[in-house]
Amino acid sequence: MEKLMFPIKYNYLNKMKKILIAISLLLLTKLNYAQDLVKKIPANAFTVATIKGDNVFKLMFVKDFNESFLGKKLLTETSKSLDQNLTSIEDFGINLEKNMYYFNQLSDSISYNCFLIPLKDVKKFESLINEKDKKIYINGDVRTMVLPDSTSIIKWNNNMMYFVTGSIRGSFFADSANSARYGIKEIRYQNNYDVSVADSAVAMVDSTYTTTPQNQVLDIVIAPPPPVAKGWTVDPPTNKQTVKKSKNISTPKSSKKKSAKKKSSKKKVASKAKKVEEFEEYKVLDVPVAQEGYTSDSTAIMTQTGNPDEQYDEYQKERAEQDAKKKQLAFVWMSAQADQIFTSNYESIEANKSYSASLDNKAIAELWVSSLQDAYSSIAPEFGTYGKSGLMKGYGSLSAKLFMDDKSFRISTGLELAKEQADAYKKIMNRKLNKKFLKYINSGKAIGFMGYSIDTKAYLEEFPKLLKQTYGSFLGKNMDEEIELGTDLFSLLLDEEAVSKVIKGDALFVINGLNTRDVTYTTYDYDDDYNRKEVTKTKKETLPDFLFMFSSEDNRLMNKLIKYGMNKNYVTVNNNIYKIEEKKSPIDIYFMIKDGMVFFGNSLTEMQSISNNTFAPTISKSHKTLLAKNNFSFLFNAKNLVGKVPTEEIGGEETAKKFNETLGKMGNIYMKSNPIKGNVVSADISAEIPNGHENALKYLFTLIENASK
Amino acid sequence: MKLKQFYILAVFVCLIPLLSSCFQVIEEITLRNDGTGDVLLTINLSQSKTKVASIMLLDSVQGYKVPSKQKIQQELNDAVAYLRKTEGISNVKSTSDFNNFIATISFTFKDVANINNITKNILAKQKIKATNTSSYSYNKTTKVFSRKYQPVATAKTEFNKLKSQDKAVFNGANYTSIYRFEFTVTSTSNPASNLSKSKKAVMLKSSVMDLINGKINVSNQIQLSK
Repeated sequence: MEKLMFPIKYNYLNKMKKILIAISLLLLTKLNYAQDLVKKIPANAFTVATIKGDNVFKLMFVKDFNESFLGKKLLTETSKSLDQNLTSIEDFGINLEKNMYYFNQLSDSISYNCFLIPLKDVKKFESLINEKDKKIYINGDVRTMVLPDSTSIIKWNNNMMYFVTGSIRGSFFADSANSARYGIKEIRYQNNYDVSVADSAVAMVDSTYTTTPQNQVLDIVIAPPPPVAKGWTVDPPTNKQTVKKSKNISTPKSSKKKSAKKKSSKKKVASKAKKVEEFEEYKVLDVPVAQEGYTSDSTAIMTQTGNPDEQYDEYQKERAEQDAKKKQLAFVWMSAQADQIFTSNYESIEANKSYSASLDNKAIAELWVSSLQDAYSSIAPEFGTYGKSGLMKGYGSLSAKLFMDDKSFRISTGLELAKEQADAYKKIMNRKLNKKFLKYINSGKAIGFMGYSIDTKAYLEEFPKLLKQTYGSFLGKNMDEEIELGTDLFSLLLDEEAVSKVIKGDALFVINGLNTRDVTYTTYDYDDDYNRKEVTKTKKETLPDFLFMFSSEDNRLMNKLIKYGMNKNYVTVNNNIYKIEEKKSPIDIYFMIKDGMVFFGNSLTEMQSISNNTFAPTISKSHKTLLAKNNFSFLFNAKNLVGKVPTEEIGGEETAKKFNETLGKMGNIYMKSNPIKGNVVSADISAEIPNGHENALKYLFTLIENASK
Repeated sequence: MKLKQFYILAVFVCLIPLLSSCFQVIEEITLRNDGTGDVLLTINLSQSKTKVASIMLLDSVQGYKVPSKQKIQQELNDAVAYLRKTEGISNVKSTSDFNNFIATISFTFKDVANINNITKNILAKQKIKATNTSSYSYNKTTKVFSRKYQPVATAKTEFNKLKSQDKAVFNGANYTSIYRFEFTVTSTSNPASNLSKSKKAVMLKSSVMDLINGKINVSNQIQLSK
């Protein structure tokens, strides 16, 4: 447990500043009119995150927040950094009863990260950002401030504040048509070198020439550009990568020669020379190439190349110029985007059905990502090639909601599926947990359990299809036939119906408490001469009693296995309870078949009571509901562990005390899957809060405060 | 702490990093009047056998690779093979019990000084730096058996670099050394050591933690009756 606490503390301290900055940013605004800012989020936003001010401050009054540890810290830190005296988060000028939004918008050329914050008191807000050296542009009631470095813009009126920061997608300028349109040059070290050595006039005219052929070579060697489906391209070759890649370019002799063909012979020498030098630099000594006449030129190189440092400086300078150009362009785009938010009417994200369906009035925070398929291509552009052809095909938008109330924290996640996917899942999940399982849970003692139920037959039938849809594109288009073949072979080899009789698809794993047992061990006694004598002693050991059960209609296979095991002396039997005679295992494992269920467990007494029908069913109502109603459920009840593990086994009194204290404070933690609604699969994770806390948010603040002590 | 180090470091450190575990390391030397003698080294993890058996089912624990039974046996065989080639050493034997997790190595020496470089060399083969300098000597004329033990300062620093849960492995570990003689013992220099009733054997028990931290020094000068 201690182990668990430390990372929390560590993370907390480390992230404190970031959180504070993020919160203060969020808090930096206001809004008076009834309109929710969601109307300002464009319909094509890729991600939307919401913090619901009214729900948050229902759980905790502004006054309480100001007086809390986190609140005080936030206020003093921001006061310090802004050189002001803030006493309440209301001093930020934000309308705390309204929703605050973050959204992200992607295009082929730029991605925007944006915050929309409702303002209540624009004066207060302005007093926070009002510094002499910052210029504020006023246009009507809209005020604009450009942050130093021109990488982000803050724009606000009396009702809302908008913060946007944009970053150019490098891939955009990898496309020479785009770079030409915006006058951006792709700068490469080698390129630049060529230019400076060769006749500079020629170089200027030819600059696109020298770039493009190499680009193509590069692309062939490194990464074939995918067909642009939605306007997204693969991650661009950055300058750094380019330098490295140049060794790839230069290795195929013919292509390199071609690209150098049109240049003067003088230049040829230089470029060759450069190549030799580069080979050395990257320790990829292509000996045959080097021998092919480059060595003879080596003296010429020295005289012609000049000082490499200067060349590098030149390269750096040009790169900086291009970067500045890109930045300028980003700024222009950003400004236009920000203007639109304030002036234009456009369709808002509310029109997106998937988004509006994901909302919940009671949530205190929400997150929505438009499509998992797009997310994959965006987060990992290197998968772009596959993404186009549909990695994660069939998976739609993703949503997560955070709830806090007087009993628990709850995170609810949902994933939208394409219709055929959803239908497949519906078939698979069309099974309930065997009710007979519930007889074998002792809620008063159980430390935890996990139950799941799927329809094995449907699963085996749908699985290959799902796999193909999800990952098929990884294997490439031309693998279609092979996948098809594999799928058929799978079906041919497996008789889904027969398998589903042996393993119906529902199972329950439960730990009904801990048990202490005597364990023998060998040690030594010494006689009067200190001659040693081997003695056997016993000690107590505490182990969890686990019980695993699954439904099975057809026991023929099991019985055959048992017969085989008994013949080979792997298995012994006593009153229908089988024991696995495996020396390697540190614990005894028993199993039996009863009433269409197969049981595995390490407690003989438990197995015996199941066998004699003397196991007293003591399952609580809530545990019953959790298990019976959901296809998947998991529960961990830490309280049942308190004081059960002997002190000496935890490692001393102090550790044991801490361990038990932490466990005692923990409420139930549980997870469950929900039934598929429409095309959305969803699951919840909940953690109950201990008694004596008003609500989960206040409890969270207490936790943070304790952790920082 | 001779060959034991080899066991502890090479094998068992990797084995038991689950909170505190109990294991014993026993070093026994029986010295005859002519200066020859026998050594028996034992490592006994039987008290933690449930944990060890559980760990053996895993691939790795807390970032340490768990050696297979075969691998441990192989290491043991290598140590035996090395000893057989060592000058002055004969009658080398080893046992291993993978049910109770007890392993031993025994051998006979011509002179007690023969064993002085064994540990270091075996550890070096395992690419482990020796954590102490330890040497045995027996002066037939003065009848003094002595063990010099000097913990290497870096051992403690290296040990302190371990994660706390890895250090905890040594919490319940014990080290015992027993020296038996044909003559009676008249005096011992180490107050932590005990003399047997027959006065012909000396025992020193210590926790492995104390050894690593340098709280206990196992050096001893044993004067035998002339």
